[in-house]
Amino acid sequence: MTRTLNKPSVIMMFILPAFITFTLIVIVSIIWVFCVSFLNWNGMTDGSFAGLENYRQLFFEDSNYWEIVGNTFLYTVYELIWQVLGGLLVAIFLTRIRRGRAILQTLYYIPVVISTVAICQIFTKFFSVTPPGMINSLLGLINEDWYYLEWLSNPNMSLEVAAFAEGYKYFGLYMVIFYAALISIPQELEEAARIDGASVLTQILRIKLPYIKPVIISNLIIVLNGSMRSFDVSYLLTKGGPANTSQLLTPYMYKQAFNSLRYGYGSAVAITIVILCVLLGVVLQKIVIRDDKED
Amino acid sequence: MKIRKLNRGFPAIRIILAFLLLILCVYPVFYVFMSSVKTTADFQQQKPYELPSEITFANYQKIIEQGRILTYFRNSIIITLFTVIFILLLSSLAGFGLSKLEFKGNRFLRGYFNLGLMLPIQVSLIPLFYIFSKIGLLDTYPAVIIPQVAFGLAFSIQLFYSFYKFLPNDVIESGIIDGCTPMQVFRKIVVPMSQNTFLTVATMQGVFCWNEFITTYTMTKSVGMKTVTLGLNDFVGTMGLTDWGATFAMIILTILPTLILYFFTNKHMVSGIAAGSVKG
Repeated sequence: MTRTLNKPSVIMMFILPAFITFTLIVIVSIIWVFCVSFLNWNGMTDGSFAGLENYRQLFFEDSNYWEIVGNTFLYTVYELIWQVLGGLLVAIFLTRIRRGRAILQTLYYIPVVISTVAICQIFTKFFSVTPPGMINSLLGLINEDWYYLEWLSNPNMSLEVAAFAEGYKYFGLYMVIFYAALISIPQELEEAARIDGASVLTQILRIKLPYIKPVIISNLIIVLNGSMRSFDVSYLLTKGGPANTSQLLTPYMYKQAFNSLRYGYGSAVAITIVILCVLLGVVLQKIVIRDDKED
Repeated sequence: MKIRKLNRGFPAIRIILAFLLLILCVYPVFYVFMSSVKTTADFQQQKPYELPSEITFANYQKIIEQGRILTYFRNSIIITLFTVIFILLLSSLAGFGLSKLEFKGNRFLRGYFNLGLMLPIQVSLIPLFYIFSKIGLLDTYPAVIIPQVAFGLAFSIQLFYSFYKFLPNDVIESGIIDGCTPMQVFRKIVVPMSQNTFLTVATMQGVFCWNEFITTYTMTKSVGMKTVTLGLNDFVGTMGLTDWGATFAMIILTILPTLILYFFTNKHMVSGIAAGSVKG
């Protein structure tokens, strides 16, 4: 049987369509971007070779760049808290409920199926100052001064609000994954612990969490990587502002290439994102694989 | 036993917590719906949390009179359908090949496809926009579908891969012994056995694609090519001039299909994810 299955023609038939599509669109375009990052080019007229000029400007002259790198890392930390920790806590909470968990799990997932564009419009309305939006109207009931709190236009808050909007949209996705993992823990494990007199907290910390550790790690990696290249919320909700206080790397790259028509410069930003994402991803996966072997 | 009783001692806290989360997740949709049936007068005079004093469908009427909604739906349906079909086709084949066929470079290929999980689609939009404009593909369906298929592959291949890895080899062997070609085995035995995974990938990618913003935004120009997601901005003006009633009505219309789809497939999805999660 192995001979029939492992013939090169069979392997090609299964793998080649995906391989060609993936290579042509994803890999070739990354290589293309790498080459363009050494050009001074606006995307229309002939470009000229600029060597490392784009990178030199980016690293040493663009005062925004490092601020945006910092924002992106901070944003990633917020997302890890909202999505991974939040999703995990809600999933654990769900398993502690006896009745109605299926319906609750379904309803908690709703923000995931709403488009980011819609979420951002809703949040724009909720956090609006003039006229006072939902949040300020409610806060105003408690304290008159809170009626005029600024959120999206507040340089100290815009990144946090954007991070919250993104966390709000996606935490349900990780909740479902954690929940699916938690309910697949063998009953005997739980019962044994219960008979031994382990408290609920001990059961969770000593038995459940270690059991679903692979899921926790894979979610950590997905969220970490997803947040490093987060785009929609920052682009749509806060538009990176005020100033660059909620600007992230990917929207910055996009604006450089498409709005400022600096294709070469935008490509240089893009390459730094690719390197960051791939490095993070590969390093994390290496750690996980080594960890697995130790177990 | 004593501890068990103790833990069950606080149902009130659990119920309150469950409700708070419920409000957080469901209220925005409720709010959007309520706002979409408010009169303009209510909208301007009431506090945001107040319920409408009378119900009107004027906002929905406005959208229908504007007349673009059908075009947006048609475009979204075509783009989502083709994207999902191509992703399912390519990633199920590749997922099966990578998990069940032994060949040199299998490990390398898995890592290679994994790269797709780490790379942002926006990076590829820079060259793809240029290339598509040179070959006259801008503002067409393929320009929107192709990048999404390519970037959806990594995630979907992984889901199929982790499901097929735990598919017993005997199943495939018996098919081969019965004289089926490998493709027949895949079509007639493997695909029916992995319906849940197909459904999971289709639902997730379908919802992603329906809600997709930046690829469509970059690759399309004309109104006739816009999708429902882009159409949401039709009633958004500059600074404060947004027609919120119409925008909210539009939001309700565009999230209905995803909500309905999700409610129907939700059960299969959880088991589909569970099948791949702990083991994979």
